[in-house]
Amino acid sequence: MSFTAWIFLLGGLAVAGPLIAHLLAKPRFRRLPFTMLRFLRTGQVQSQSRRKLRDLLILLLRCTMIVLIALLFARPILHLRHKPEQTKHTYCLGLDNSMSMAYSDGDKVLFDKLKDSAVDYVRSAEPDSLFHICALASGDWMQELSKEQVLAEIGTLKIEPASTNIGDFLSGLNRTNRAKHSNDETSVLVLSDFTPKTLRQFVRITEPSAVDRMDYTPILSSKPVNNAAIAEAHVVNLAEGTLTVSAAVANYGRTPQKRRLTARAGSHESAPTDIHLLAHQRGTYQIQIDLQPIGKEPSFWPVELSLSEGDGLRADDTFHLAVSIPGYNDMNVLLTGESDVELFLLKTAMEILSRTRSYNALHIRQVLIDELGSSDMEWADVLVCSVITDRLGYLASGLKDFVSAGGKLVCFTKKSMASEAAKQLWQRGVLAALPSNYIHGRTYIQPKPSDYQVAGVDPTAAKSLSNYRIDKILLKGYLECEPHTDSRCLWHLQNGMGFVYLKAFGSGCSIFVNTSVDDSLGSLTKSNASVAFCQYLLGQKNQISEHCFARDERVTLPIPNRPMTAGTQQPYWVEVCNGKKRRAAMTDSLLQVPNPAGIGWIKTLGKPTLYAGVNLPQGETDMTQPDVAELDDMMKRVFLTNGERSVSSADVLGDKKPRPMWKVLAWAILLLLLVEPAIANRLRR
Amino acid sequence: MRENRKYLDPAFLSTLGNMDLVARCAVEGFFSGLHPSPFHGFSVEYSDHREYHAGDELKFVDWKVFGRSDKLYIKQFQQETNTTAYILLDSSKSMSFAGDGKVSKMDYASFLAAALSYLMLSQSDSTALILFAETVAKYIPPHSKRTHLNIILKTLQQNKPAGQTNLAGVLHTFAETTKRRGIVILISDLLDDEDDIFKGLAHLKFLKHDVIVFQTMDHQELHLDYEGLIQFEDLESKAKIRTFPQSLKEGYRQRVAEFLDEIEKTTGNTGIDYCLLNTSEPLDRALVAYLAKRKRLM
Repeated sequence: MSFTAWIFLLGGLAVAGPLIAHLLAKPRFRRLPFTMLRFLRTGQVQSQSRRKLRDLLILLLRCTMIVLIALLFARPILHLRHKPEQTKHTYCLGLDNSMSMAYSDGDKVLFDKLKDSAVDYVRSAEPDSLFHICALASGDWMQELSKEQVLAEIGTLKIEPASTNIGDFLSGLNRTNRAKHSNDETSVLVLSDFTPKTLRQFVRITEPSAVDRMDYTPILSSKPVNNAAIAEAHVVNLAEGTLTVSAAVANYGRTPQKRRLTARAGSHESAPTDIHLLAHQRGTYQIQIDLQPIGKEPSFWPVELSLSEGDGLRADDTFHLAVSIPGYNDMNVLLTGESDVELFLLKTAMEILSRTRSYNALHIRQVLIDELGSSDMEWADVLVCSVITDRLGYLASGLKDFVSAGGKLVCFTKKSMASEAAKQLWQRGVLAALPSNYIHGRTYIQPKPSDYQVAGVDPTAAKSLSNYRIDKILLKGYLECEPHTDSRCLWHLQNGMGFVYLKAFGSGCSIFVNTSVDDSLGSLTKSNASVAFCQYLLGQKNQISEHCFARDERVTLPIPNRPMTAGTQQPYWVEVCNGKKRRAAMTDSLLQVPNPAGIGWIKTLGKPTLYAGVNLPQGETDMTQPDVAELDDMMKRVFLTNGERSVSSADVLGDKKPRPMWKVLAWAILLLLLVEPAIANRLRR
Repeated sequence: MRENRKYLDPAFLSTLGNMDLVARCAVEGFFSGLHPSPFHGFSVEYSDHREYHAGDELKFVDWKVFGRSDKLYIKQFQQETNTTAYILLDSSKSMSFAGDGKVSKMDYASFLAAALSYLMLSQSDSTALILFAETVAKYIPPHSKRTHLNIILKTLQQNKPAGQTNLAGVLHTFAETTKRRGIVILISDLLDDEDDIFKGLAHLKFLKHDVIVFQTMDHQELHLDYEGLIQFEDLESKAKIRTFPQSLKEGYRQRVAEFLDEIEKTTGNTGIDYCLLNTSEPLDRALVAYLAKRKRLM
């Protein structure tokens, strides 16, 4: 038995109080003259002896209560001693099969060393022991194996291109602890290279695990580590058909690195870049690939960056970066309103936008709304209406055809508008929301949109709007809106009303904005945020995007120009990193790949062919060797063995094997407190 | 009637102080409560008229009737029956016990003796008072004069309980020294050897005395209603017993009941009137017992 707070045992000395009181205190009695003593005498002898016995019993009862209370405060833990022949040994082996274990120091691969150590350990175990193996990187648990089975399993273990996940191992260990018999003994063995990334996971562990024995062996290179890796890469720009990529190369070892960095995209290959890095040095290098000729259509490029050979680990010398280059389609924007003055602010903002790199082919035209015709809609990709007039009502069917064909309709509103026309457009599904009553009241826009990832608007611009403090822009009034059943409110006012509504029509969409383009309802188009707001409305165009993921991240790919139905999942086939065909789910416009199965390329099997690069988690192959003392302290903190557990409150609450006695004591005290007055009273009669 | 009964309450009587007043209150209160009284006619009182015959004493002629009717009539009276009552009052130390602290057994016995004396002297019975403990401490010879009551009451008031009880010896001494037979009223707690007591009483009975025994007991003596640890100290022998009386209560009550039953049984067998008096009860039970005895004697 051990005590969590043994100091409270000193409280047991309080027993001396009643004992001394019992020994020293004379019984208090009343003197009473009486006459008939001869009638008392007979029972008196019996009464005296019984009284002494009763006093002793009451004393014993009270002393017991004091001792129990002291024990309760000391929080005893009962460690059941088991007979040696009944003890069953359970071994939990945590074997690091992360990518860093693939390092070879010239003599042997670290993972082979790990396997040898594990085999030695298993062979030295008791014959009828049970084994559980956890592959730390893949998270696979193999449970309740015999010695022969575990030796076979160790032989089949493979390296996983991922980082270790200590959390999985510890939760599995705790499950094993909970399920085991009280006589069983649990031993833990952790074999790993204990890279800084692994150690960081151990540091984050707050709930230690209780075990009977803990062993760990750092599997380290016997020579100075020689390893460099491409830590990360991203696109700098695309200019005149030349793609510039920036790559961060890190020397994770103590050997200076002289390597060459090359990039390859399909048949295009860059010129090699020389790299010179000292021990534990990190450098950023730009590398250019000529992708000429690039057409006007959007294209996907799998750009593979690689370091020349020369270190002990090849897997981290390659980096997969998928680059999506948008097409260079012209965008025709038609601005229409009741007057030229009304559209001045919006047109200015659009023109500023057209001068930015993102929209290098933005053509803006302006037409009075009463003169709007079918030919204008044929020309326009985006139609911006500053007000809803009867004219729009007449063109309702044409507008529906326009958005259905992939066009974008953006409608602002004013206090005075044609309600009937609005209702007609709304009923036909062209208008995302039906404006009705004008509410004259000061209000502000929410700082962030309710929904970022929506096809039809630019999420990057939405974030920029937050930086412009759009929530500080005062709106003088707004209209009550009834959204269409298929539309979504993307942005709200601070009073809860809708600000931006969107209704999708395949690749086209209709957007309703609950403010005016001039200053009649609000000051949005007058503010600095107007350009960003125009970009938000026009949607994402002509922006190079990258698709590269770490092995432990969720892989998603945007599928452009694909008809979709909100909230539904459609099957899609992809080729994952190991070359196998796998089914992926497409939600809205995003393709979700559940398991990339390694590192490398994920490629869609349908048209268009899209790529996503899957790489090792950053820092996974950082081979910096751990400090021995620090590692020892940490392992002792994470795995509490019997001796250390006696003072750990976390162990008292979390581990099942030591039996905390405080509940029993508490019940006993409660019972004694209840019965003591009754017993004492009864005995005194 | 209920108001009159308060004059029989020993607690009330103890507050009066004056024994004469005590006796008067007790007896008057007792008689006013009895209505109609069954005890009319035992005093000297008018009975009837008859015609005068030669030889009748002239002092009995009713001259008023002669004045009205010119005829001589003689007044007839019920005959006087004088008797002697001996009140033996136990004044040993044990009689000083007062369980509830208000009325001791001695007080109660004194009230009873005073009331009986008053009653008897008002009937012109000769009344003697004998105070005793180990021996006879005070002897007031019998007399029937009304002034004799003052002597008795004064003696009772000055009496202080002391000494151990030797009831048997006193009874024998009394029997041997008293020539004239009468009513012997023994007021005592009878805390002595039972056999000796019975022998003494039998001695009195043998001498043709009419004996009434009033055994005065305190409520606590009868029931032992004490709680907690108590050291009992005997008033006479000074012996001590420390005990929890609640644990002995049942056995004690049983033994006391056996003791009292034995006394009652033995006195009943020998023709002695026995009355157990609880000091917390009024005096009327004792007075009724006495008067019943007196009536039987007449």
